[in-house]
Amino acid sequence: MNATYKVKVNKDFEYTIDQEEVSKTDIIQTSDSKFHLLDKNKSYHSEIIQSDFNNKKYSIKVNSNTYEVDIADSLDMMIAEMGFSVGASKQVNSIKSPMPGLIIDIQVAVGQTVEEEDYLLVLEAMKMENIITSPRAGTIKSIEVAKGDAVDKGKLLIEFE
Amino acid sequence: MNSKIKVLQEKIDQAHLGGGKQRIEKQHQKKKLTARERIAYFLDEGSFEEIGILVTHRTTDFGMQDEIYYGDGVVTGYGTVNGRLVYVFAQDFTVFGGALSETHAEKICKVMDLAVNVGAPIIGLNDSGGARIQEGVRSLGGYADIFHRNVQASGVIPQISAIMGPCAGGAVYSPAITDFTLMVEDTSYMFVTGPNVVKTVTNEEVTSEELGGASTHSTKSGVAHITSSNDIQCLEDLKTLLSYLPQNNKETTKALPYTLGDEKRAVLADIIPDNPNKPYDMHEVIGGIIDEDSFFEIHKNYAENIIVGFVRIGGKSVGIVANQPMFLAGVLDVNSSKKAARFTRFCDCFNIPLLVLVDVPGFLPGTDQEWNGIIVHGAKLLYALSEASVPKVTVITRKAYGGAYDVMNSKHIGADLNFAWPTAEIAVMGAKGASEIIFRKEIKAADDPTAKLAEKEAEYADTFANPYRAAQRGFVDEVILPEDTRRKLIKGFSMLENKEIHQPKRKHGNIPL
Amino acid sequence: MKKILVANRGEIAIRVMKTASKMGIKTVAIYSTIDRNSPHVVFADEAVCVGEAPSNESYLLGNKIIEIAKELNVDAIHPGYGFLSENADFASEVEKNDIIFIGPKSKAIEVMGSKLAAKEAVKAYDIPMVPGIEEAITDPEKAKEIAREIGFPILIKASAGGGGKGMRVVEKEENLESQMQRAISEAISAFGDGSVFIEKYVGSPRHIEIQVMADTHGNVLHFFERECSVQRRHQKVVEEAPSAVLSPELRTKMGEAAVRVAKACDYVGAGTVEFLLDEQHNFYFLEMNTRLQVEHPVTELITEVDLVELQIKVARGEKLNIKQEDLTIKGHALELRVYAEDPMNDFLPSVGNLETYQIPVGDGIRVDNGYAEGMDIPIYYDPMLSKLITYGETREEAIELMIKAIDHYQVKGVQTTLSFGKFVCQHEAFRSGNFNTHFVKKYYTADALKTEMQEEARIAALMALRQYQEDQKQLRLPTH
Repeated sequence: MNATYKVKVNKDFEYTIDQEEVSKTDIIQTSDSKFHLLDKNKSYHSEIIQSDFNNKKYSIKVNSNTYEVDIADSLDMMIAEMGFSVGASKQVNSIKSPMPGLIIDIQVAVGQTVEEEDYLLVLEAMKMENIITSPRAGTIKSIEVAKGDAVDKGKLLIEFE
Repeated sequence: MNSKIKVLQEKIDQAHLGGGKQRIEKQHQKKKLTARERIAYFLDEGSFEEIGILVTHRTTDFGMQDEIYYGDGVVTGYGTVNGRLVYVFAQDFTVFGGALSETHAEKICKVMDLAVNVGAPIIGLNDSGGARIQEGVRSLGGYADIFHRNVQASGVIPQISAIMGPCAGGAVYSPAITDFTLMVEDTSYMFVTGPNVVKTVTNEEVTSEELGGASTHSTKSGVAHITSSNDIQCLEDLKTLLSYLPQNNKETTKALPYTLGDEKRAVLADIIPDNPNKPYDMHEVIGGIIDEDSFFEIHKNYAENIIVGFVRIGGKSVGIVANQPMFLAGVLDVNSSKKAARFTRFCDCFNIPLLVLVDVPGFLPGTDQEWNGIIVHGAKLLYALSEASVPKVTVITRKAYGGAYDVMNSKHIGADLNFAWPTAEIAVMGAKGASEIIFRKEIKAADDPTAKLAEKEAEYADTFANPYRAAQRGFVDEVILPEDTRRKLIKGFSMLENKEIHQPKRKHGNIPL
Repeated sequence: MKKILVANRGEIAIRVMKTASKMGIKTVAIYSTIDRNSPHVVFADEAVCVGEAPSNESYLLGNKIIEIAKELNVDAIHPGYGFLSENADFASEVEKNDIIFIGPKSKAIEVMGSKLAAKEAVKAYDIPMVPGIEEAITDPEKAKEIAREIGFPILIKASAGGGGKGMRVVEKEENLESQMQRAISEAISAFGDGSVFIEKYVGSPRHIEIQVMADTHGNVLHFFERECSVQRRHQKVVEEAPSAVLSPELRTKMGEAAVRVAKACDYVGAGTVEFLLDEQHNFYFLEMNTRLQVEHPVTELITEVDLVELQIKVARGEKLNIKQEDLTIKGHALELRVYAEDPMNDFLPSVGNLETYQIPVGDGIRVDNGYAEGMDIPIYYDPMLSKLITYGETREEAIELMIKAIDHYQVKGVQTTLSFGKFVCQHEAFRSGNFNTHFVKKYYTADALKTEMQEEARIAALMALRQYQEDQKQLRLPTH
């Protein structure tokens, strides 16, 4: 049987790879966790940094970079296709701080209706002002911070109705 | 390939197909995974070993001899969850709608017997239209064989039922006996008699979902302990639940590695409002006491005036029972008493220490409660907490009034450590009610009865609305700063680890059922 | 001079202290509460906490820093770059307290600190300039008028600015008002001065700057150019010396112009004169930075001088004992600013803990570093972790060494500009030398970086899958 897998790397790249492709790849083991690969005549040094077999997650170093690899088998793919997810939230109803920083300006008020991409507030981090815009059209239900507040990453900033 | 090996391979392949590709497709369309898919997701990668894959039924009536499927509608076996052994059976809706036959039941009984003999949890993934009616009484016998084993295994190994499709008629009694029932939203239902029979007998018009869907059973009846949004959430919930439980009644749950620090939790200091009549969310207290994100709540949406669930404290698995002032002021009533009593008894069965957080104004008054037997049901909680021989620790955060004080794991019914916060009020009743009774004559005689009542109320509150009278008598072992609660609990549960109580021999107690 | 206080943090504080130690001078560090674990505090002979984390409650408290300097009998204060380095009041306050300020006289800082005053000052010295207005404004209506006159696109710049803060390019008139407000508010929060001015936005310029050094005896030298055209958000990321496009004649011309700028304000110490170079190789005076620049190491490597050492010597009143004609360019140096930023996500600051942090070592590799493994990156300051500098006989050699060094620079826990640096070094436009300040806009997208990584990522996928299949074969037993 030639099983096919969907492999995600660093959440940025996705590959569909079948078993055959793996067995055809020229890989030799050079030590306990280190490997040497030849792919299209190009040479790669690789190392297995971490493996979590049960969750099919691996940390693989290739040359000098480390990649987080997530493997999905046919069952995982089917589950994803059926739209099942664990702990999924349904709609974006709140905005959380994308990074720690200082709130230096708030441009909306509770009850105000906003359009997508409207300026909501200005978060200063590392001396740069980052404008946080609205992810969707809606009405502001609450504002959980005040001008001058220092916020942590993930702090609730604004809730929508 | 050797032809004999080929024959085997074909049989296995066929068994894996269950009721065939079309039915599998249909199952998927209903947003349900198949029995094998569920097991594959639930158990550790590659850990499943199937038992009885080639079993088939023996019925010849109604042309059944022509409809033979390997496995006979249920997949059974063992595997691991996070490395730990569990037994599992999963009904296969693609084969006869998962209907239970004599052989189907035999397969389930086989793994149940193994589970009991070995001492490991058994998990049932239910997805069955009911009895295999072509078999008649043999099928009923199959059910009863399972029920009897459920009862024999009760308190010996954890038994968990996940309802992931229909579960109707007699079939419901197996989940009812097991320790926990999980239901999947929208795709599962449970009832003794379905909407059609209901209509005939009582003329009620009701849908399956209304009658016995996940939301009904998790809010109205309390039959479901946990509801999950879909199949895989349900399987994840099962895994989480298992992580708090030991393998059997002779073991304790393994502690997770935890490195102790100073364990003070300043957040606890600001939770109790100044005004004693203002509610607060007991979840905040729980959050401040336990290991981060370790709360797994049971019966979240049922009888919300009491909170029960599993937590980790310093890595150790602990069961929590806590009054919830946010709902009905945290009063004890019929449903909350039943909910907490059953949870308490489960923890006691499986050596899970108990932590009781108290903020209770008393029992809920009224005809509804009295006529529904609050006396007997309240007694269940009293019985369960009193009977429990695991380490038992109490923290009184605010009110502990009247009989409810006694019930909520008081010193007198065998709690090992009783702590109170400085905000605790331990008294027979609230200051107003008490002064109305004690000073009735005086108040009546006064020129200004309202002012007198207020004066007497203040006097009573001064005397009793604090934890110090109870502390003087030793009913409370220590009055502690809220921020020290976690420290005290980690130390206390560690101190109580080897607690053992020897009781006189008896067949079993007689809890007021 | 026996003791120097460095009024700064991070890599530059260490950089200055290293030279001071080499010269037998004791060092004093200052730090904010959040920086107690920083390497600069550990490195110094003495260290004093100046206040809370926000820089206006610590590193910007000039008077408090002077008090500390007096208490500890400090002879001189080195301001590094940023913070108080271009604060004329601070410089004069330091001098008033009989402490040597290692930098120019406050008058020069003041003149060059205001771009308008700077233009005024160099007017008489035959220095080419970009068209624009010569006074600060705050009124958007007036700004529109002027902008129409000069013609869009225009550039709004904070008068007191630097480092890209308070700077906005405006392409269309309707965006002018909002962009101007942002520029003003950013300028106020960064420099405490909200005045801005407007100038013509030069199309495809290269950013070339000349390092100068002047002593108190009237000698002004230039140490050639640095090419700083690879920028994101108007901030430099990759710098090199020498520039790949300057002819010896142009180099001399620009160097001489820079010397004249320095003379125009009676400059003393290390300074940098910034020019824009357009496609026809006309150059325009941009501004003069009256401090040691972040990117000074590339100049040090190609001229074999220690600029900090020269700064200290000049501050002691010594005469520069080098002649302009003795200075030559040897080899090529490249610098990458390693910021805690996510190049895949618009270079947004990436805050976190440095779970892994290992810097490369080797011949031709210099890392001016301010962090150590296990440290958190505070939100209060510039997110620069270090400067990775490589040196080679030729430009190619320096670039190749940079790629190698990036490969050996291990950071986990935050995103950095390392991958971006590699992208630049491998990009044809950069390698050929044919690029300008629009390099990032023109060639760089997160996707481009992705393409670079794609091949390796696929190898990682294959490796993981192979391991997964090996793991499947392993027999495992249940535990009870």
